[in-house]
Amino acid sequence: DALLPAPQNISILSTNMKHFLTWSPVIIQGETVRYSVEFQGEYEREYANESWIPICECSLITATVCNITEDISATVAYNLRVKADVGARRSEWGTLKGFFNRITTSLTPPLMKVIADGYHLLVELEDMGPAFQFCVLYWKKGQESRMQQKVVKEVRSVVHLDTMEAGPDYCVKAQTYVEAINRSSSFSQTQCVRAQGGRSMWLV
Amino acid sequence: LCRISMSMTEIRSGFSAIKANIQARDPIRTLSILSYPHSLHKVKSSDRCCITHQLFNFYVDKVFKHCKTEDSYVNRKISSIANSFLSVKRKLRQCHEQNKCMCGQEPTEKFKQILANYEGLNVTSAAIKSLGELDILLDWMEKS
Repeated sequence: DALLPAPQNISILSTNMKHFLTWSPVIIQGETVRYSVEFQGEYEREYANESWIPICECSLITATVCNITEDISATVAYNLRVKADVGARRSEWGTLKGFFNRITTSLTPPLMKVIADGYHLLVELEDMGPAFQFCVLYWKKGQESRMQQKVVKEVRSVVHLDTMEAGPDYCVKAQTYVEAINRSSSFSQTQCVRAQGGRSMWLV
Repeated sequence: LCRISMSMTEIRSGFSAIKANIQARDPIRTLSILSYPHSLHKVKSSDRCCITHQLFNFYVDKVFKHCKTEDSYVNRKISSIANSFLSVKRKLRQCHEQNKCMCGQEPTEKFKQILANYEGLNVTSAAIKSLGELDILLDWMEKS
């Protein structure tokens, strides 16, 4: 059986600690080509005879993308490879050029919604998974020098930031932090709100 | 002081996913690699870094490579733990090279005992038992 061409253009798409391996399809007229993916961490290279480990969710698949997030679970350099199969015919392995280390994942600012609930300044943060913490900065508009910070380690539905005075706007921005790779995203857009209270009430 | 960051949550979740499977492969219930004759909790705080460094070397150099199973899912989880340990091992070595993680006689003796426990079994049984005891190490590291 003639050898199939190896998959080409193998690359990684990695955003916010979610990692996907992609490649160009191998085209064989009238045939369904299936692909299988394997990975090799630094441990395997240095201590386990350069062994490769199959990803069973990406064995004999027809898609040209594989979610490798669960297997890239250490901050070391990984090798990745893909091969193609059509029936008994098989290709050589196509290997990712260079290593992949999750430290290079791109981190995007968190989606955020700032809420004025009466005099309470609240923020809703996107749940990005257990690897993510958030640094939230908030300040009275015009008083940037007196910016306050709150670190949110676990995403709850709503985070209470402060009790506002009536009148001024309060502004908020946030960034993510991933301890496993010791990196932060850039800050989100700033959002400002004002206390929703009516006239000030004095109880006699 | 040797300060290193490690993804304990990831290691724990990797281990929790295979703990029952690995411990079921260990028929020798009467022996312990890490806790015989004394628990890790008896290690003095000044000796903690040395013992941690030795144990990470032990797991990376000796244990993981002998834990290959017929189960692909288990092998993948062992790989993620092993690669995380390798990452931490490197950081501990840097501390050691900067004289921040020195070993006195007591921790050296303690580690010798662990090695003796390990070498008292055939290599596969010893490796599987050591892997099955990983939570003992993780608990000790997190507790103090």
